[in-house]
Amino acid sequence: MRRVLITLAAILAVLAPPAPAWAHAKLLSADPAQSATLAKAPTSVTLTFNEELNPDFTTVVLSDAAQQRLPLAVPAVEATKARVAIDQPIGNGTYLLAYRVVSQDGHTVQGSYTFTVADPALPPAAVVAAPSAAAAPPAGSGRIPTGVLIGLGALGIFLAAVAAYFFASGRRRRGSPGPSPAPATPTGSPSADPR
Amino acid sequence: MTSRRHLLTGAAAAGLGAAAGAGLMTAAGADDPVPVAATEALTTGTATVPFHGSRQAGIAEDPPAHASFVAFTLPAGTDRRSLARMMRLLTDDARRLTQGVPALGDTDATLAPLPARLTVTFGFGPGLYRAAGLPSPIADLPKFKIDRLERRWSGGDLLLQICADDPLTVAHTQRMLVKDTRPFGAVRWVQQGFRRSPGVQAPEHTQRNVMGQLDGTANPRGAEIDPAVWNSDGSTTLVVRRMRAEIETWDKLAVADKENAVGRRLESGAPLSGTREHDEPDFTKLDASGLPAMPDFSHVTRARVTDPSLKLLRRPYNYDGVPNAAGHPDSGLIFASFQKDIVRQYVPIQQRLAEKDLLNEWITPIGSAVFAVPPGCAEDGWVGDQVLA
Repeated sequence: MRRVLITLAAILAVLAPPAPAWAHAKLLSADPAQSATLAKAPTSVTLTFNEELNPDFTTVVLSDAAQQRLPLAVPAVEATKARVAIDQPIGNGTYLLAYRVVSQDGHTVQGSYTFTVADPALPPAAVVAAPSAAAAPPAGSGRIPTGVLIGLGALGIFLAAVAAYFFASGRRRRGSPGPSPAPATPTGSPSADPR
Repeated sequence: MTSRRHLLTGAAAAGLGAAAGAGLMTAAGADDPVPVAATEALTTGTATVPFHGSRQAGIAEDPPAHASFVAFTLPAGTDRRSLARMMRLLTDDARRLTQGVPALGDTDATLAPLPARLTVTFGFGPGLYRAAGLPSPIADLPKFKIDRLERRWSGGDLLLQICADDPLTVAHTQRMLVKDTRPFGAVRWVQQGFRRSPGVQAPEHTQRNVMGQLDGTANPRGAEIDPAVWNSDGSTTLVVRRMRAEIETWDKLAVADKENAVGRRLESGAPLSGTREHDEPDFTKLDASGLPAMPDFSHVTRARVTDPSLKLLRRPYNYDGVPNAAGHPDSGLIFASFQKDIVRQYVPIQQRLAEKDLLNEWITPIGSAVFAVPPGCAEDGWVGDQVLA
């Protein structure tokens, strides 16, 4: 498996287009996490990106299932992190968090995701149609066209197949029996990022 | 540039997957394209703008294609009488040249007959009023944190704004006027700029600057101009700022990044909340994820004024100097705005922009000057006679 990964990484490094336009800042992690269900309502949101943010240009908004915006404090930006306090306690339900940030080199990145608060100590959420996290924001450079995602996914599958072939043929040459190779996982698709 | 970028991105995406190309091309937006063709009148060269009147020319008219802003420094010892002598002489030059007549003693009289909408507009800096022993209606701008002002583009006691649809006409006029100003003051700086040539685009269309943006969409129009620009005596004020465009880093942005910085679509000039250039930006509109459609840090969001009498009449010109040895351009905008009152209209907008405007990442103010623009003059008068006589 290690060999597969190394081979894959090598192939990707060679084939990957140099500095493509969509390879700028992106959301690495978030707290609350994307699609998380929390037993206790969060009092703040922390977004961590792969690049330093320009503190002057950070917008974070939180909406409830009825698409009402909730009051947030002014975001505190430190290097790659943006932290926003949620001004008032929030109840059970699904929330849509959206961000629009600018990296130090001036690229705008925006996206959104949902999380759910399900605190057994609080009254259950009113039933409202949850907003779709996939709703496309207006052209932000962080948005990746579906076509590109499909293309990258296809590339990943292709590369995995190539790697699996090399792995298998390498094993044959050495003739050493071993555990059957793990099924190759398609990689290279950044589709985990909900933008 | 836009289409080439699309082509390149499209090509890169096509290499990744067959579907990718189509995805990107549709993402480029189906906004109304800006019309680019117009018929050129054969009268471009002979067209004239009246010189005399209660207001100076070169302000409310559609800007001609070429401009030269020439600022002078007055020597110590300049007084009201010498200023009046200077303005009599320069007014006489301007009234002739703008009508296609050689200046008195014109050493190249053959260059005068095609004025091409030539205007000469005079501005008085704070130093001129000091020299004349008069209270100045204008004061230097406060320092903004984005300023990187250079002395060679800043200040000035007297300004000549020379505009025409032909660069040779501008050159000749500048030469004649500078020659006649020489006994009274020293050239402090000259900034030469350009817009689209006449006939390239119908005059009512907003022009693009060197960064590809439609520039001047929010300008006051028609009846909006008077309350924003003119004092009852026919005077106004002028702010000239040299804005260097940081082209090298601007070029690294995707179209969507540029649009977020400005708050308008690059192609159509439409606000990000609308579809057409002149749609009023809707700052309350939210997208599906709850983000404001107009980014709160975009230039348009920060510069907005709701009261039309607080608008600025922008009359900017592009500049494009000589690239350096590394091939980096020396380009930008000679920002020129006319407004009744600099402190009430210009300063608050510029303060908001200096405080927060994503576009600041790619524009740097390197020059700054303010001038009072005295009323125009009657046929037997001279510009400044109401101030200096």
